[in-house]
Amino acid sequence: MQKIAITGGKGGTGKSTIAVLFANKFVRNNKKVIVCDCDVECPNDYLLLDQRLEKPRQKVYAEFPKLNKTKCKKCGLCAKTCRSNAIFQAPEEYPIFIKDLCSTCGACWIVCPNGAVEPKKEQIGQVFLNKIKKDYWLVTGIAKPGLEETGPVVTQTKKFAMALAKKINPGFILFDTAAGTHYPVISALLDCDLAYAVTEPTPMGAYDLNLILDLCQKLKVPAKIILNQADLGYKTKIKTIAKKFKTTIKKEIPYSKKIVEAYSRGNLLNIAQNYV
Amino acid sequence: MKICICTAGSDLKSLVDQVFGRCSYFLFVDTETEESRAIKNKAKKTVRGAGIAAAQIIADEKAELVIAGNIGPNALAALEQSDIKVISGASGTAKKVLEKFEKGELK
Repeated sequence: MQKIAITGGKGGTGKSTIAVLFANKFVRNNKKVIVCDCDVECPNDYLLLDQRLEKPRQKVYAEFPKLNKTKCKKCGLCAKTCRSNAIFQAPEEYPIFIKDLCSTCGACWIVCPNGAVEPKKEQIGQVFLNKIKKDYWLVTGIAKPGLEETGPVVTQTKKFAMALAKKINPGFILFDTAAGTHYPVISALLDCDLAYAVTEPTPMGAYDLNLILDLCQKLKVPAKIILNQADLGYKTKIKTIAKKFKTTIKKEIPYSKKIVEAYSRGNLLNIAQNYV
Repeated sequence: MKICICTAGSDLKSLVDQVFGRCSYFLFVDTETEESRAIKNKAKKTVRGAGIAAAQIIADEKAELVIAGNIGPNALAALEQSDIKVISGASGTAKKVLEKFEKGELK
């Protein structure tokens, strides 16, 4: 089984479209495929494949810190330790936990010498499963609306997909990541055998490509470039970046009205042409 | 009174930075002695929660009043929690802002 991440840095370059086109191709070649939508803040692979998300298969929980004031000695260690700046402590006061900034890493209760910070479980997301057709599955993770740190939802969604993979033994599992290079993207990229960085020939596409390739390098995930809408801009910069990271442009996909229409209609499953 | 002005530079000639959490310097001014001292804002480069981190620096310095440009809800709540008053919407040089404050023109 090959674990492939579809990423790219910049938003709107066609990550989800490419992920679905890859899955279509693999299924046509008689391989079993799981598409795992890791863009948990706004998953849309299910829309592109004309599916509905009913009955969650799994609820995702995370542990947030809660202060036990009877044990707290106001030492301030938790506030100093927090890398997310999610703990504030006014002088001589109890620390305050700002949930919106919390990454649920758990460092605060690990460092507390008095056991005053207690983990409290809360639901932060859901995982859905759709069978698209024979040998074609879609796993979708969704974070609770307004949740600031969605990385843990991605991790859990991936775990669900990997557990499914153990049962059905697919040839490929495609992790469709969010845009950016932050925690949810890192969670999606970790442990992948290969990443396709989908970008477009624009200055912003190039800028973000540079960031994502740098991240892939740090995570030791080999990355190749897919240049979408390749005929609509200037490729020079993309080629320079490819050279810098010693990688190649695996595929150039020209702008196609056909893909755009299929995308808009949730009809991507029926694209039979090999674009990728 | 110990005042903290969020500034773009390290002295009284500097402009008030329009962002709070990611301002360049905190200029602490003692209104009695008129002494000022600037601290580089370490929160400027944090990925997130810069407002909280900045409020923590100011609270640790035990300032009584913050004069800032724009300030977000998290930082505002944190400062209020520490009994630190906040005047937002300030602009111009720190010196001008200070003069205005002393004349009671800053609200």
